[in-house]
Formats: sequence, structure tokens, C-alpha cells
Amino acid sequence: MLKILVCVKQVPDVNLVKIDPVTGSLIRAGVPAILNPLDGNALEAAVRTKEKYGGAVTVITMGPDQAAEALRECLAAGADRAVLLSDRAFANADTLATSYVIVTAAKLLGEYDLIFCGKESLDGATGQMASQLAERFDASQLSSVRTVLEVDEKERTVTAERELAGGIETAQAQLPCLMTVEKTNYRPRIPNLKSWKASRTAEIEKYTSDTIPGLDRAQIGDPGSPTKVPRTYPPEKGPGGEMIREGSAAKDAEKLFALIADRL
Amino acid sequence: MNKTDYKDMWVYIEHDGGKVLPVSLELCCEARKLCDAAGEKLCAVIVGELHRSEIEKVMDCGVEKLIRVSGTGYERFSVDAYTELFTRLCRKYKPSAVLVGGTIDGRDFAPRFACRLPTGCTSDATQLVYDPKTGDIEFIEPAVGGKMMAVITVPFVRPQVGTIRPGTFKYQPAGPRPCELIEERIDFPVEKIRTKVLDFLPDEEDESLNIADAEYIVCVGNGLKGADALGRYRELAALLGGKLGCTRPVFDRGVLPYKLVIGQSGVVVKPKVYIAFGVSGAVNHVTGITDSDVIVAVNRDPEAAIFGYCSYGIVGDMDEVCDAMIAQLKGRA
Amino acid sequence: MASYNRLSPAAAEKLRAVVGEGRFQYGDAVREEYSHDEMPIYGRYLPEAVCLAESTEEVSAILKICHEENVPVTVRGAGTGLVGGCVPVAGGVVLSTMRMNRILSYDMNNLVVHTQPGVRLCDLAADALAHGLMYPPDPGEKTATVGGNVSTNAGGMRAVKYGVTRDYVLAMTVVLPDGRIMKLGKTVCKTSSGYSLLHLMIGSEGTLGVITELTLKLVPKPRMDVSLILPFRDIATAIASVPAIKLANLDPQSIEFMERDIVDSSAAFTGNAVFPTVVNGREAGAYILVTLVGEGEAELTAKMDRLGEVAEKAGAYDTLVVWTDGLKKDVWAARSAFLTVIEAETKLLDEMDVVVPVDRIAEFLVYTHDEAERQGVYVRSFGHAGDGNLHIYCCSNDLEEDEFKRRVKKLMDACYAKCTEFEGQVSGEHSIGHAKKEYLRESVGDTAYGLMGAIKQVFDPKGILNPGKVCHDWEGGALDA
Repeated sequence: MLKILVCVKQVPDVNLVKIDPVTGSLIRAGVPAILNPLDGNALEAAVRTKEKYGGAVTVITMGPDQAAEALRECLAAGADRAVLLSDRAFANADTLATSYVIVTAAKLLGEYDLIFCGKESLDGATGQMASQLAERFDASQLSSVRTVLEVDEKERTVTAERELAGGIETAQAQLPCLMTVEKTNYRPRIPNLKSWKASRTAEIEKYTSDTIPGLDRAQIGDPGSPTKVPRTYPPEKGPGGEMIREGSAAKDAEKLFALIADRL
Repeated sequence: MNKTDYKDMWVYIEHDGGKVLPVSLELCCEARKLCDAAGEKLCAVIVGELHRSEIEKVMDCGVEKLIRVSGTGYERFSVDAYTELFTRLCRKYKPSAVLVGGTIDGRDFAPRFACRLPTGCTSDATQLVYDPKTGDIEFIEPAVGGKMMAVITVPFVRPQVGTIRPGTFKYQPAGPRPCELIEERIDFPVEKIRTKVLDFLPDEEDESLNIADAEYIVCVGNGLKGADALGRYRELAALLGGKLGCTRPVFDRGVLPYKLVIGQSGVVVKPKVYIAFGVSGAVNHVTGITDSDVIVAVNRDPEAAIFGYCSYGIVGDMDEVCDAMIAQLKGRA
Repeated sequence: MASYNRLSPAAAEKLRAVVGEGRFQYGDAVREEYSHDEMPIYGRYLPEAVCLAESTEEVSAILKICHEENVPVTVRGAGTGLVGGCVPVAGGVVLSTMRMNRILSYDMNNLVVHTQPGVRLCDLAADALAHGLMYPPDPGEKTATVGGNVSTNAGGMRAVKYGVTRDYVLAMTVVLPDGRIMKLGKTVCKTSSGYSLLHLMIGSEGTLGVITELTLKLVPKPRMDVSLILPFRDIATAIASVPAIKLANLDPQSIEFMERDIVDSSAAFTGNAVFPTVVNGREAGAYILVTLVGEGEAELTAKMDRLGEVAEKAGAYDTLVVWTDGLKKDVWAARSAFLTVIEAETKLLDEMDVVVPVDRIAEFLVYTHDEAERQGVYVRSFGHAGDGNLHIYCCSNDLEEDEFKRRVKKLMDACYAKCTEFEGQVSGEHSIGHAKKEYLRESVGDTAYGLMGAIKQVFDPKGILNPGKVCHDWEGGALDA
């Protein structure tokens, strides 16, 4: 019986985020929060592994209360248990502080043979969380996994194919192992009515900084984050090029190819 | 922690098949500038055997210290061995910064040793600026899909760890400097490596997916209506004798494979002519095209950021303009 | 039979003066795209000139000139039609509405939008949503113009709940063939005031007048929606579930069907394999896609429960819930891409857009597949199961074009006859154009067809508007030099 953990994140749908042309700040209002797309692939890999070998999938996230919706999506798609870590004290955390909270809480709930993560988040996109979670779980680490080939519970190993730059590597790692999952082979399933309905009323276990025993407050939220963001600004506009305005696409194309004739 | 106890900026020299990866040299060149600004020394860290000629390439970037590590456990990259190695090296030598190429391996182990130390780690900066007032490096990186630039610093702890994508900085060696050589012997017990490679199957060569050296590139962005609209862009690329590429969101939509993604998280290209259709011009993407000779942008939105970076711009429906270009080229043939 | 003049250089200069150099194409400058729509199998006909009008007044001036000169005028929107409706078979002038692309204003008290006809459907739909409203008609071709939608009385996916484009047109400005400007309809929802010229204009395919402004009815945006995929063994069992779904009092927004092979083609082509092909260990042969709307989750859940029961009884392999926005987008994008997928993978293509009673859909499809096999062409089909509107594409990648046409003619003759036998309609939403005229005549009978011709004669005595379409005869006689 495999004990599987999936770490997920709810993110704003970055493609819909706009920038206020006057202030240059992000307009978040009306932008839907979604399950980080690559986390859906990680969950699918976890659920398929569970279905093959038996076991249970716990899904965990840190975020505001609304992040429960992302957890319900995971429950509908095959997770067995959902844990939400939500507290104002967790806010403004970088990956180091976030991984600390998640791993501290997850360890309280049990031990894990396999931990699955998405490759990176849509919003932060640092891709650092998986490595730091693996470090804190003291787990071996396989990134860019496109197929989980075999889990050997007796030998305590997992064998997987990794999608690397020049080809496919087959690698074996000792359990516990943390894997980041490519989307190639793990399109998230569409839940059926029964599991969807169950997910809507299922219990979401919630923990705060007060209910995670032994949590070191110096390591959470802003105080626990060694990286800071002193400022943000809109990307500079480039110097701009020559605009071609000949009145029709055909004439524009003609003008363009005349202009770049020496390059063709 | 006293920040002033930490000195020297390190670059991890990643090598594969006896060759130093270009990204490591790019980082040496960029870190050289930071060191000049900060009055610190540039230190290269080489793990394992490397031929003299390759080491000279590294030295040519103005390296003033070279740490050469030997020992068991490093023949092949493993997160376990390299995490422990860099943790120990950092504790011993106290560098102010460690820069690591944003390769698959680099992105695996750099955040992990940063966590073990512990210290702050950043990824994918497109600019590095030394701030003399604070003594910190500003890691400036695109955020929220490139819609914002975020300045990231590690103000209270050291070292400042950063992974940087290949192609972000230019390889412009500043020339060799007097260099101190430090030999380190640190063994990592081979039995403590928890991963092993069983097999490697190289990708079948699909030339259409190799866009890094293409002379002409037609790139489709998120303005693309759907995969069904792709045919004309392939046709235009073929007529130009070039290749089709895309932006990250097009890959995210499942329309084109990852190998065709141009930009910071994909391929950096330098064609003679690069034509962007329906590309918004997010920094992440623009980073990957700035070395093109000619950039042509086609977008419905006259305010699209891509027009800021182009040589020539056309405001219009991308499909319509593409068809017109095809007609033009066919008319000439 | 009508005969026309060629556009003289002098007349061309008059037209140029109306719209200006940048919006006028004449002679060699006329672009090839104006010679066909998305079904080039019906022939290519290049116009003598193209005018991109920007206002009612310009349209009026253009028509006045052409009327005097006896030169045909064919109105064109985005050119996404499938029956040659916007193709200038008799030459003359193409009058493009693509520059009349402004949404003019919203009346939030009366829930209407005033718009120019060249606005693309996708732009209108998105803009309405941004106002908290919904424009219910939802044809698959989102880049078509609303003017084109009105001219064909387009239906689309949501027709089963909301009706078709006709039901959302309250008023319009029309320019008659001689240039007179006329307003039809009012911004009210009832009328018992004489013959409805408004409704004559709707679906008239640009043969009676040119629509230059529209007042369209909107509805409040439903609070919540969910789509459900019901996979079935085959198309017959899938379609057999539809009457039960309609009877379950769910008021679905759409009930679509799709056969497995089009789903496979779409997945292969777009790389977006969103429809599961193996469900609970069984291969799906066909799918029903249902969208439900409601005011809250409780209401939707109750409806989904009922749908789930109906689906199970009808033999669905499962009831899959498309709940998240991302998934909805993927599913509906795959559905909307079907036609373009077919166009991309097919060399020779022809289509039928018949409507049959819902309980005859499966029978009709089986008949079509059998006939197609006999003729040696293959068929891809999908469509609106909720209203019996089927999109059937006849395809070939290896026949010569003439041979393909010959065989498809036989196939279509048989299918349209079957459709008539089933008390169906020739076209649900793609219209007649010049491609389906004969089938229309056979379907409605000579008396009705003759009355249509008589109406055309009243509006357009010289027959200059979109000659050779719907019920107007013009068989390529020599143009007067």
C-alpha cells in the first residue's frame, strides 16, 4: 500500500491577468484562481500509480481558504485526502518558507513513499519548490518524469522515464522519492459524476500556524523567507520599430519583403 | 550573520562530454561585471576531470580563483552528491553568491543546497545588478507570465544563489587574470547516491524540432486561434526555408511541442529573419529573440509590447497577414 | 433571366470616390480570397471590384451606383460560409462589411445591443459577457460576422435552449437594392403589426437588401454552467438518449453529439485529446455533450443527478463532469475545431446541414454512412443532437475532383430525399447559397419556391443583389460587355 503525497498550488490564471496601463500594477480582480495546470499532471500520475499498486493519495496545499476549491478538484480526480494549510502568518512566503510549512505539516500526517509535484507554477514559475520539498522530506529526487514505470515496494525503489533535453533517460530512485511530472503522458482525467459530487462535500482538513505543533515561527511567512521582492515594475517598452501601414495585408506583405529583400 | 564575512562570486562550471556548457561561460562573463562593481573576486568551481583547453576557456572569462574538486561520487551528476558538495564548499569558503546554469541538473540541485544551507535562491533572472548601497545583487526577472518585472534580493543571508537560463547573457570573455588555484578533495560515499541511471535513449532526430540554428523563423504566439490555423504558418516557414516556433502559452495549450518554445524557458534563437504572429511580446519570450537580425511583428493589438522590440511591425489579423505573405512569396517564385 | 453589365471604368471610379482608395479594390488589385468561401468545391468567382464600406450612407451610395449601372452586388462578411452564399457568381461588386465592425451601444434597461454587421461573433459574445450579458446564439464558427449570422439565421450550439439568431433580432437598418435606406423592427419584444419584413430579411442571404445596422436582444448571463460528457457504445445508443434527456426537464443549453472518428481526428490534429476514448475499460464510439445552466451549485447538482440517471438508463458508459473553466475551454475548443480539423485533413470536401426530427437522427446517420460507403467517399459528422441539426461532411483524399463531385451528387440526392421523407429541412443554419438551390426547390415544392422568387422580385426587380442565390436563377449567362 503506497503512501502518496501530491503538493499542489492554486494560482491566478496568469493568461487573464492584465496590467493597469496607468499605474502599471497587476489587475487581479475578476481573474479566476485555478489549480496550477502542471499540478493536475502530477496528480494524475499519482492517482494512476495508486490505481496500479494500491494505496492512498493525499493532496496538500498552502494558500488562502479559497484554495480549498483546487483541493476539491484534486479529490474529484482521484485524491483520497485533502489538506489545506491556511494562515495569514504564512503569507508572503518564498519557496524556502513554503516548503518548510508544507513538509512540517505533511510529516505530522504520516510518512510518504512517493511525493509528486508539478514542474513549476504558472505564476511564480521558479521551479524551485520540488527540490526544496525533496530536501526537507530527505527524499531522493527525479525531475521531468514522463512515465512512472515501476514501483517496487519490497526493494523500496521507483523506476521512471525522464524527459531530458536530448532524449529519454530511464532512472531508478530509492523511496521515498519526489518526482516532478511532465504533462506528456498524464493528462488529468475528467471526473465522473459520482466522484465529482463526493468532492463537493468531502472534508478538507485545515491547519493553521497554531494547529501545526512544533512549527518554528521564525521559518514561516515573510520572516522565514530569505528572498525578498523590494519592487516590481512593468517591463520596459522597447524602442519600437518601423510600422508598415500600406492599407491592406497584401500591400503590407509586399512592402515588408521589399524592405527585407537583402535578407531573403 | 555578517554579510561582509562572505566574499567572492562563484560560478558552477557544468560540463558534459568533456565540454563546458555555454551557459557556464555566459555566467562567468556576467559575474565578472558584478565582481568588478562589487570589488569581489570571480571564482569558478569545477567538479571532476576537465581538459586543459576547456579550463582555459573558463579562465579567459576573467576568473581569479578556481576551485577544482575531486573525489568519489561525482562521475555522473546526482542531486545527492552535488547538494552535499556545494553545501560543504559554501560553508567552508563563504562565497557571497553562487550562480548555476538553469539546466535540468542545475535547477535540481541549486535550490536544494540553498535549502540545506539555508539561504535564498532565485531562478531565471534576466538581469543581474549589483547594488553598492546594500551590497546585494538584484536578480531581476520576469514575473506573472512576463507581464511584470520583479526585483528579487537576498538581503540578510549569504550566499545569494541563482539559477540562470542558458542564453540569457552573452559570452563576451573579458580576458584572463591572475588566478589562484584551490584543490579540494571531498568524497561523497557512492552508496549514499539514491538515484541511478539505467538507460538513455537519445531522441530521434527530427530536424523540424531543431530551431536553435534556423536562419528563418516563423513564430506563433497566443493570438493563434487554434491548432487548425497552424497550416499557413508552417507553409510560410517552408517558403522562407525556415522553421516554425512558438511561445510558451502555445505549448501550454498543447498545440505545439516544447522543443519549439522560443524564449527564456525554451530555445534562444538568432535567425536572419524572425517573424512573430500574435506574439504579445512578454519579456520571457523577447529574451530568446533579441539576437535576431530582423524581427518582424504582426499583431492585432497596436499596443502589443512586441512592437517595441521589432524592426518592422504590421497591425492586423495574423492569419490574414500570413496568407498575404504566402501569396507574396509564391508570386515571386 | 437577368443579365448584367460589366463594371465600367467610369463606374469603378464612382465607387472608388465613395469609399476611398484604401478600401477599394478593382481589376488586378482584387484579392483572390473574395472569389470563394470555405467551401471552394462550389467554384471560384472573382468579383470585378471590392468595396469595404464603413457606413450605411456608403452602402447606400454604392448600391445606387450599381443599381443605375445594372451591376450585381454581393454582400460579404467574414467569408466563412459553406454554401457559396457570399460568392459573386455573376461577377460585379463584392460589398464587404468587415470594416463596419463597431459595437455601437448597449441599452442596459432594455437588454439590447446596437451593432454594425461586420462585428465578429466572438467579439460580440466577449463584449456582451464583459457587460454581464450573454448573446445566446452560438454558431460553431466564431469568426463569422453577426451580419452573416443574421443573413443565414445561424443557429449553433445553444439553440436547443435559446432558439436561433432570428429570435434575437429586434430591429435593423437595411439598404434596398436601389439605395433607399429603411429601418425595420423596433426595440420591443412583441409585434402584431403587419407582414414582418424584418423576418423576411433574416435568413435572406443578402438577396433582398443589405443589413447595415442591427439591434440584438441579450439575456442576463447565467450564473453557473457545467458541461457533461456522456460516452456511448455507438451513435445509435447515443442519439437514443436524447429524447429522454430532453424530457428530464433540465432545460439544457446544448445537447451536441459527436462520433468517435471526428473526436480522434481532432485529438490527433490539435494534440488536445480531451475526450476520453476508453471509459471504464470500454471503447467509446460516440459522445453526447450536454451543457446545463443554473443559478447555483445546488440547482446544477440536482440537474446533474437527473441527467446521470437518464444517461445510465440510456446506456452511457459514465457521466463525466466538466466543471473547471480550463476543462470547459478545452472541451468546447475541441468541439469548435471540428470543421477546421476536417478541412485540414481532407482534400475534397462537401457538406450537408440537414435537420431531421431528433428521433430520426441515428437512422439518418446510418443511412448516410451506408450510402457514402457505396459511393466510395467517407463521412465525418457531428452536430446538434438537441435540435436534429446534423453537420455531415463528405470527404475524399484520393478521388479526382470531377469523380468526387459526381459521387457526392449521388450521395446527396439520396440523403436529401431521405431527409424530405423524414420531414426534415435542407439546411438548419448554413443556408442555401447557390449550392443547395435544387434541394430547396425539391424540399419546399414549386409553389413555395415560386413565391420566394416573387418576393425577391418585389424587393429587387433588377435582380442585382447576390444573383443566383436561394431562389434566384442565374446560370452564368454571358455578361454584357
